[in-house]
Amino acid sequence: MENFFKEKADEYKKLLAEYIEFQDEKALYGVELVSKAFIKHNILPEEIVNIHIKALKELYPDLFASFEHSLDFLLEAMISYGLAHQEIQNLREQQIALKSEISVAAQMQKTLLKTKKPDIAGLDIGVISVPANQMNGDYYSFLQNLDGTIGIAMADVIGKGVPAALCMSMIKYSLDSLPKESTPPPVILGNLNRVVERNTESNMFITMMYGEYNPETGKLVYSFAGHEPGYYYCADEDRFTEFSTAGLVLGVSEDVEYEQAEIEIAKNDMIVLMTDGVTECRDGDRFIEIDEVFDVIRQYLHLSAQDMVQEVYRYFERLQDFQLQDDFSLLILRKTV
Amino acid sequence: MNLEITLTEEGNQSIITLAGEIDAYTAPDLKETFGIVTKKAGQEVIVDLEHVTYMDSTGLGLFIGALKSTKENDSELKLVNLQDRVYRLFQITGLDEIMDIKAAIRGGNE
Amino acid sequence: MNPQSCVHIHKEWDIVGARQLGREMAKEIGFSTVDQARIATAISELARNIYLYADQGKISYEIIYNNSRTGLCLIAEDEGPGISDISQVMEDGFTTSGGLGAGLPGVKRLMDEFEAYSEIGKGTTIKTVKWLR
Repeated sequence: MENFFKEKADEYKKLLAEYIEFQDEKALYGVELVSKAFIKHNILPEEIVNIHIKALKELYPDLFASFEHSLDFLLEAMISYGLAHQEIQNLREQQIALKSEISVAAQMQKTLLKTKKPDIAGLDIGVISVPANQMNGDYYSFLQNLDGTIGIAMADVIGKGVPAALCMSMIKYSLDSLPKESTPPPVILGNLNRVVERNTESNMFITMMYGEYNPETGKLVYSFAGHEPGYYYCADEDRFTEFSTAGLVLGVSEDVEYEQAEIEIAKNDMIVLMTDGVTECRDGDRFIEIDEVFDVIRQYLHLSAQDMVQEVYRYFERLQDFQLQDDFSLLILRKTV
Repeated sequence: MNLEITLTEEGNQSIITLAGEIDAYTAPDLKETFGIVTKKAGQEVIVDLEHVTYMDSTGLGLFIGALKSTKENDSELKLVNLQDRVYRLFQITGLDEIMDIKAAIRGGNE
Repeated sequence: MNPQSCVHIHKEWDIVGARQLGREMAKEIGFSTVDQARIATAISELARNIYLYADQGKISYEIIYNNSRTGLCLIAEDEGPGISDISQVMEDGFTTSGGLGAGLPGVKRLMDEFEAYSEIGKGTTIKTVKWLR
């Protein structure tokens, strides 16, 4: 370090002498390199000014006094910049550490919230959920009941990032503790609502949809807690129809009765569920309309449900210049028999 | 994007006029404002959202927090002049059922 | 010069006097121009903290020797409100005033040794040393 410092100080002096005599660009390029080496070795601005003063005094011993004082003055002015520089450096290191910590947490979350897509004859399921940042505040889950029905949950915690992700684990564990029996969706949402209401801060809430699909009958029984509506695609008419039930988001009021409704789907029909990360997509200042989502889905109808959701995601990812504003989740369920 | 917050106090009425976007970045200031005005018992807090063009779920959370605070402190919360897109959020989430919301009152003086 | 001196801080102007005395002592001991400027800046931060948060206090200066090393020791004392969480105050990025680079973390960086004691309602003492290289 001492050697490096001395070496660079000498080089600085040489370049300075060259520049004072010839004012050539080569010397200026040289000092740029020296300056970069200084930065790399955390040499502070006041030390560079000091090197400058020393070099100048050696080159011009009879420098006039007021000029010398002015340089001392400059050195003094640099001290605070040096401090600021060190603080930023330190904060940067902390940020890197924090980032890697979050990425470990995100990996844990992925493992923790993993759900198995049910493999059922006559049913083609595609699902995608991408966080805007590292951790996901959206959640979906499939529950396979003993009677053959499938529970489908989709939820979105307010906000995004770490707090949303922490909150989501709560939903996951509550769902896990359900009996493997067919349960009316309003009962499930009612239970979750109490859990969330008891365990979150006042401005925290979760929107959720829970449905139970019967592969035998093609019937979906569902209930919504303030969640984005779902859409039913009728293949015969090539038409999307909104479906939902009125109901307050989870976590706001202790006693909420949720409603139940049902639809029946036929061969090639689809159920489309999403979070507001899809509907609130923005293209510059323009918000997308739900019809745009339908149009994109229509373009990929020939693909499998999984390829379809992936293509739709790619479309909106491109639209937002690859910078998701919110966690994005989309689920498509298609009846194939 | 910015959010402009104007607070006018008239007797036991606090009128908060908002302009801009309510999201995770602009939320902290509004949260602070809500925190102060909803704590006074008997206070009627009116939030004018006529010039709010966008709100995300963090914004909704603020209104839920404010609503809970008014219940605890015996004050009142009213939302007026919501644009369609913002109003839709309150509808989807079922919050329009538990909050005093007057959607668009276009033009004219009240 | 007296090896032990002290400057009382009551008003902003006293900060200048505190810097001046510190710089003179640093120069006398043989600190480089850069280190003199660093010591003066550290004194500024300490004195300003007293002026801003405690209203009044003092900074003492002492030339110290340790195994053939010479150093300048600064002790800033006040009977102000005290600091409830010193670790928080010492954290980078935590600023109540002053902004980037300022405050106690700055003092710690400018000097070689740093200790802080504080009791709520009683006051704060900060001891910091710079060794001659």
